[in-house]
Amino acid sequence: MDNLVLDIRGQICPACLLISLKELNNNRSRIKNGEASLVVLTDHRDATRTIPNAVTAMGYSVNVEKREGYYEITIKKEK
Amino acid sequence: MRSRSKKKSSPDRGSFQKNNRSSRVQAGTKDTERILYKYIREKVNQLLEIMGTKPLREEELDERTIVEFDPIGIIAESFKEILEHLREKNLQLQQARDYLQAVFDAVGVGISIVDRDLKIIKCNERQKELLVRDTDTVEGRHCYEVYCGIDSPPLICPAIETIERSREVFLKEVTKKGRVFQINTSPLKDGEGNITGVVEVSVDITDKKRTEEALHQAEKLAAVGRLAAGIAHELNNPLGNIIGYAKLLLKTGDLGDYEREKLSVIIEQAEKGSEIIRGLLEFSHERPLELRSVLINNSIERVLSSMAHIIESSGIKVFKYLDDIPPVEVDQKQIEQVFHNTLLNAVQALEGRKDGIIEIRTAGLDSTVQISLSDNGPGIPREHLSLIFDPFFTTKPPGKGTGLGLSISSEIVKKHGGSIWVESESGKGTTFHIILPVRTRIALNGEAES
Repeated sequence: MDNLVLDIRGQICPACLLISLKELNNNRSRIKNGEASLVVLTDHRDATRTIPNAVTAMGYSVNVEKREGYYEITIKKEK
Repeated sequence: MRSRSKKKSSPDRGSFQKNNRSSRVQAGTKDTERILYKYIREKVNQLLEIMGTKPLREEELDERTIVEFDPIGIIAESFKEILEHLREKNLQLQQARDYLQAVFDAVGVGISIVDRDLKIIKCNERQKELLVRDTDTVEGRHCYEVYCGIDSPPLICPAIETIERSREVFLKEVTKKGRVFQINTSPLKDGEGNITGVVEVSVDITDKKRTEEALHQAEKLAAVGRLAAGIAHELNNPLGNIIGYAKLLLKTGDLGDYEREKLSVIIEQAEKGSEIIRGLLEFSHERPLELRSVLINNSIERVLSSMAHIIESSGIKVFKYLDDIPPVEVDQKQIEQVFHNTLLNAVQALEGRKDGIIEIRTAGLDSTVQISLSDNGPGIPREHLSLIFDPFFTTKPPGKGTGLGLSISSEIVKKHGGSIWVESESGKGTTFHIILPVRTRIALNGEAES
C-alpha cells in the first residue's frame, strides 16, 4: 500500500483541513480501494481534531500519532 | 472567475445605467466584485463552520487564490462522500435491524422489552404465542396487564426489582396463564449507564416439568416395586407354612364344623395372599423367555378350560372366532398368563350381568398373529384408559385385585416384541388387542425384537 505524504507543517486552520480534503478528494478511489493511504504531517494541534472528524464522517478510518514536534495523521480505507 | 465576472457584470451594469460614462461603470464593477467576494467568503466560512473548523482570516487567501483554491468545490466533494457514506451506513443499519428482528422473532424463548413504567416497547413472536391471548397491539400497554392479566404490578415482580436494584433477576418457576415459566429480567441501559427499561425473557418449562414429574413418578414406582418384591419374597415362606399347617389340621378327624369352616377361610385367605405375592414377583422378576413353537388357538382353549368354572358360574357366553393361524414362537406359560389375565379382566367386568358375552378372535396378518378379546361390559372410563397398564392401578375394591394383571401382561407382550392395546367405550364394552410376531427374535440384551 502506498503512503501519500502531505506535509502541511506551518499551515493553520482552516487551511489544514481544506488542503487535506483536497488531497483526499484527488486520491479518493485509490484510498477507498485500499491501495493507498494519506499521511498528513501537521504541527497545528486543531487539525488533529478537525481532520479526523471530517474524514470519519466520510467513511475513512483515521489514526493520529504524535511525533517529535508535529503530528502524523494517517487516513485509510474504513475497516 | 475574476475576469469573467468583470466581463459579465460590465454589460449588465452598462445596460442598467446607460447615461453614465465609463468611470461610473468601473466603480460599479468594483462594487459588484466586492459584494461577490464578500459573499463567497461568507459562504466558505459557513461551510467551514459546518465542517467544524475556523473561518478564513482576512489575510488568508486573497480573492484570486480563494477562487483558484476552490474551497466550496472541495467541501462539496467531501459532502458528496459524507452522503454516500451515510447512505451505505443506513443500508447496513437497516440490514442489521432486519437480521436482529428475524433472530428476535425466531428464537425459542419469549422476549419482551419494557420501559421504566413497565410499558411494553417491543415483544417477539414467541412471547406473543406464549402469553398474549388477545389480538390487540401489545406495544404501549403495561406488561403486567398483557402478560400476567392483572391491573397493577404484582408484589413480587422481577422487572420492578431489576429497575430498582439495577440487577438481573431470575425466577425459577412462575405459573402464568396455565403454563410454567422460567423468567429472567435484565436491565436495559443507555450510553450513560442509566436504566431505561428491562429485557424480560420467558422460557416455557411446562413440558419439561411434566416429563420430570413423570420420571419422578416412574422412579418412585420402581422403588416401590423393588420393595414390594423384597417383602413378597419374605412373605412367601410364612404363607406357605400357614397354608400347609391349616391343611394338615383339616385332615385331623376330630374337628367340628365351625373349626373346619374357619380353617377353610384361613387357607383361602392365605392362598389369596400367595396369589398376590406371585403377581408381585412376576412383575418384578425378569424371567427369561422360554421360546418354543406354540399354537395360539390351543393356548386359548387351554386357558378357557382352566377358567371354565368361573365363566360358567358367571353365566357368561363365550364366542370364539379362531382362524387357522401359524404357530408362533413364544414362551407358552407367559403368553397363556396374558390370556388368563385379560380374560379374567373381562369376566370381572361382566360380573353381575345376565347377558355377559365374551368374544375371542384370532387372525394371521403378514408375519404376525392378532388376538382380540371383547366383552360387552360397562367399558373403561376415558380417564382410566391411559392408566390400565400401569402397575398397581385397579378400580376393584381392596382385596379384590392387585392392579398387576394387565401391567404384567403388557410387560410379557412387550418382551415378545409384540404390542397390546385397549379399545373401550363407556357403556359399550371393551376390546383388548394383542399382536405377536410369528418369530420372536431375542436381542442381545435379552429383550425380544420383532
